[in-house]
Amino acid sequence: MSAPAKLAYFVRTAVGSIVRSPFVHVIAVASLMLSLVGFGVARIARTQLDALVDSLGGEVELTVYLTEDAAPERVTELELALTQRTGGQVHRVSPAEALGRLVTQLGEDGKGLTELSDNPLPWSLEVRLPKAARDAQALADLAKRTRALPFVTGVDYGEEALERLTLIARALEIASLIVFSLVFLTAVIVVSATLQLAIFARREEIEIQKLVGATDRFVRVPFLLEGLLQGVIAAGLALAAVYGLVRWLQSGDGGLLAFARLDGKLLVDWPRLAGELFGIGCGLGLIGSFIAVRRFTRV
Amino acid sequence: MIQMFHVTKAYPGDPPVLVDINLDIEKGEFVFLTGPSGAGKSTLLKLMFLAERASRGQVLLAGRNVARLRESGIPFLRRNIGVVFQDFKLLPTRTVAENVGFTLDVLGTPRDEVRDRSLKMLRRVGLEHKADVSPLKLSGGEQQRVSLARALVNDPALLLADEPTGNLDPALTVEIMDLLTDVNARGTTVVVATHDATLIERYQKRTLRLEKGTMVADERGAKAARLMSQSA
Repeated sequence: MSAPAKLAYFVRTAVGSIVRSPFVHVIAVASLMLSLVGFGVARIARTQLDALVDSLGGEVELTVYLTEDAAPERVTELELALTQRTGGQVHRVSPAEALGRLVTQLGEDGKGLTELSDNPLPWSLEVRLPKAARDAQALADLAKRTRALPFVTGVDYGEEALERLTLIARALEIASLIVFSLVFLTAVIVVSATLQLAIFARREEIEIQKLVGATDRFVRVPFLLEGLLQGVIAAGLALAAVYGLVRWLQSGDGGLLAFARLDGKLLVDWPRLAGELFGIGCGLGLIGSFIAVRRFTRV
Repeated sequence: MIQMFHVTKAYPGDPPVLVDINLDIEKGEFVFLTGPSGAGKSTLLKLMFLAERASRGQVLLAGRNVARLRESGIPFLRRNIGVVFQDFKLLPTRTVAENVGFTLDVLGTPRDEVRDRSLKMLRRVGLEHKADVSPLKLSGGEQQRVSLARALVNDPALLLADEPTGNLDPALTVEIMDLLTDVNARGTTVVVATHDATLIERYQKRTLRLEKGTMVADERGAKAARLMSQSA
């Protein structure tokens, strides 16, 4: 028995089946392609949203207020400790700098502050956090641990805004998960249905194959290949469609969709997107065909 | 080659199709299986190529007890069995040569070899010149010869034919039967199910007669021919 000969036979049979009944396969490919275009567009939208969140996240800072009696060398020790603990950048703010900022912020109303004999503001440390430490839970944990350090009187990190942002991102993630689960399920059903038709059309052939000693695997592999081919073709078309859409948006003729541009350029990681589209396309094609052959090749 | 011990085949809710069948067909034999319509001939053949399993009793094929055979083992056993049907079971979307080569495709035979062996087999049944036409353009006798070529192309040890001449006129019937006896002469065990008494008289081979699912006669040579012609 020759494996290359068998593989060649499987490919010939799968391609032959697609060529012989193009209409049902076009329906399956179109259905898969539309799902994948939806996924590709959502993926790009998500990348833009992540970029937006990142740009907001760049503002996330932890402000650590120290007691009045914290000596400069203690402040230096704390600065080092926080740098090591967070992996971020720590900026030391002296009472004078803090007062200066407050006066600037208050404008006319703050002029009186410059006449104070004693600066009431303490030393503080501003920690600019790395990307990995910007989620709400990690920040809450860090704030709790920092509050326990000596000479620390309080910690502020804009928790309300961050929690809201995290909630929005999570809601979007769950919503897209539900929507794409349904869309992909539909695509799988369509692929499965078209292959059931293909199996029905070839039931005589399957019967004879089994009579002359074909194993179940031998009968099923061409149908699985058909599903895989549908996925590959759909992914290629979807990638081309998404590419065309992105080019159109970037050309500035996008009309109402022009708002989606970020600084006039959409951020797209093409190799990654292509990998995802082909991976999902092949996966959906295979799942659809697997369901069909499991149920309908028992002759 | 084929042994059956107290084999019964019944479908739920219906009376048994075969009852307490015992038989022993030796390697290289030519056997007619006869009886009226509904006697159980086709079912007995199906037990031989494992399209059905016995409800009771034991079936041994080439010494292997098929009751102990897993589903996954059936295809490998079938590769040693050629089957010919009354309705030919040819694929209209494939050429004559492709229909014959279908058996070899399943075995993973390289394409060129499939073509060569298919043509060789078609030459043997006298249809090499029709290799590239559709089976739909052939006469009934020619279609049956293609079906026979498909069954024989991988040199099976056993050939089963279910009413292979049922749709053919007398001249074509003789043509097909001569091919079957020729195959048998080359060493293949042949079992032919037929209700045509003239065939049994003409070829005078071992004959098993079924009536209402029961084996009522097992005769050889001229005696078989006489008995069958009397009961026909």
